Amino acid sequence: MSRAARPPFPLTLLRFWLMRILPAWCGIALLIFLMQIAVSAIVHDNEKVKILLGFLDVLPSVVKAALGGEMLRVGNTSALIAIGYNHPFVLFLFMLYAVGTPTGLLAGEVQRGTMELILSRPTTKIQVYACAGILTLAGMFALDLVMFLGTVAAVNIFPFKDRVPLDSFLRIAINGGLLASTFGAVALLCAATFARLYSAIGVSVAFLVTNYFVAVVSNWWPRMAFLRQATLFYLIDGSNVWQGWPLRNMGILAAILLGTAAIGAIIWHRRDLPL
Amino acid sequence: MAAIEIESLTKWYGRTCGVEDVTFSIERGEVFGYLGPNGSGKTTTIRCLMGLLRLGGGQIRVLGERVAPGRGTQHARIGYLPGDFRIWGRAKARRALGLLAALGGDGGSAARREELAERFELNLDRAVGDLSKGNRQKVALISAFQHWPQVLVLDEPTAGLDPLMRQTALDLICEAAAGGAAVLLSSHDLSEVSAVCSRAAILREGRLVEMAPIAQIVQQGERRLKVWFADGSRVGNVPSAQLPGVRIVERQPGMLHVAYQGSADAILKWIAQFPVDRIATPQTSLEEAFMQYYRRPPNAGAEANGPKAPKGVQS
Repeated sequence: MSRAARPPFPLTLLRFWLMRILPAWCGIALLIFLMQIAVSAIVHDNEKVKILLGFLDVLPSVVKAALGGEMLRVGNTSALIAIGYNHPFVLFLFMLYAVGTPTGLLAGEVQRGTMELILSRPTTKIQVYACAGILTLAGMFALDLVMFLGTVAAVNIFPFKDRVPLDSFLRIAINGGLLASTFGAVALLCAATFARLYSAIGVSVAFLVTNYFVAVVSNWWPRMAFLRQATLFYLIDGSNVWQGWPLRNMGILAAILLGTAAIGAIIWHRRDLPL
Repeated sequence: MAAIEIESLTKWYGRTCGVEDVTFSIERGEVFGYLGPNGSGKTTTIRCLMGLLRLGGGQIRVLGERVAPGRGTQHARIGYLPGDFRIWGRAKARRALGLLAALGGDGGSAARREELAERFELNLDRAVGDLSKGNRQKVALISAFQHWPQVLVLDEPTAGLDPLMRQTALDLICEAAAGGAAVLLSSHDLSEVSAVCSRAAILREGRLVEMAPIAQIVQQGERRLKVWFADGSRVGNVPSAQLPGVRIVERQPGMLHVAYQGSADAILKWIAQFPVDRIATPQTSLEEAFMQYYRRPPNAGAEANGPKAPKGVQS
């Protein structure tokens, strides 16, 4: 039995998909970047911080917990800047990319019927999956770096009274990138598993929202504190990141990311596509 | 060595049979018709051949290489036209076709693409989504032929084309075969199958019920007899008990059109009782031969023609 060489990696497909998602990525990146500038524009001025905290005190305590809890106080500049990192709007933007990219590329092409054409060319299913994976994971990580660049720009634009520890924010960004990529891998797994685009989107969103909801509630309600470790958000817990590189948590996140992506690849390779 | 070899192919979808124990091969330079009604397993066979579905059993070889699902086996040398051709609607036809060609390394397909577009009178600068059904089918044909494939797998290649373009497509198929390509042509249009195919296989409920040269398939079917009787003659009813296998196709005063299987002896002897004016023996078409496989009860077809040992086939 003759055995042919593996087809070359489909860079053409990677480029084609990149061009398709690039406008959305740029839009999301711009919003995230501007969000950091906007947050810094408020928190560099103590008077504005007082107004902001007064406003947060009016809102349900769960909202304040979602944005940083007791760490939010006048003078704690780092925690205040970090509002821009865990603001629900920013997380929503991340979710949009994490869920939209792999589901749109894999499940979307399957549902459109174009996957049959792609796979009729010299390309393996795993290579197609890898293209979607690269764009999802690298895109998510890059968004996190854009978020950090937003902070760097803001620190240079606005005069902060205290020194802003940019090295800590870089650590947060890299950890956040790992977390974001892990959520991207979960969405990739869903895209590889479900036949229908909306099933893949639905399950991915449900996983993300549940994680976020549990993280917020367990931080806010002491009786639910036992659930803290049940969410992926626990692995980028702020207190660890401020002190240094949380290598153990980073390792766990990387393992989950790789494991999830690998399971998705196996499922994608083995399943008959609903062509 | 055959270009396509399918051996005991079996594919089940849960408890539903897609195809079972399908065996055939296609030589280089041959156009092979693959016939069957909707749901008979044609598309399943094609998707297994393209490695898009996992096989339940058996094996497939294309150009000597065993097909492994999801591995793109020999796809650089295969031209594939799916039955339901869908492509990126917002992309211009030239870009979409260029992308598909580039996925295989291109291989100088641009000139061929332009040549085919000219032949099909297709404007490649329009978005695929804006094209009519017929023009989209032309895009599909170009995508299958643009990289000079050595194996062509075509599922309903002329669907939606006008007669002129249909002929162009058939000419293209014949040219490819003349150039040494092996062509698997799945179609419902039996006139096009009889026009370009040398052999055909008929699939019924996932099993091959016939595989033979087209002429042989046609001959194996019912034969026809049209008889005009002398004016005023009274022709009685056909005694079906004495003439098994005889079916009345049409009956008018003074004219009887019957179909029969096997020898004409019994029916001619019965007709001879009446004063005959003239007799004609209309040609059976592939379509009529094909229909017979679907009039018979499932087992009768399989038994009569033997899916296990198809006739007149192996190369």
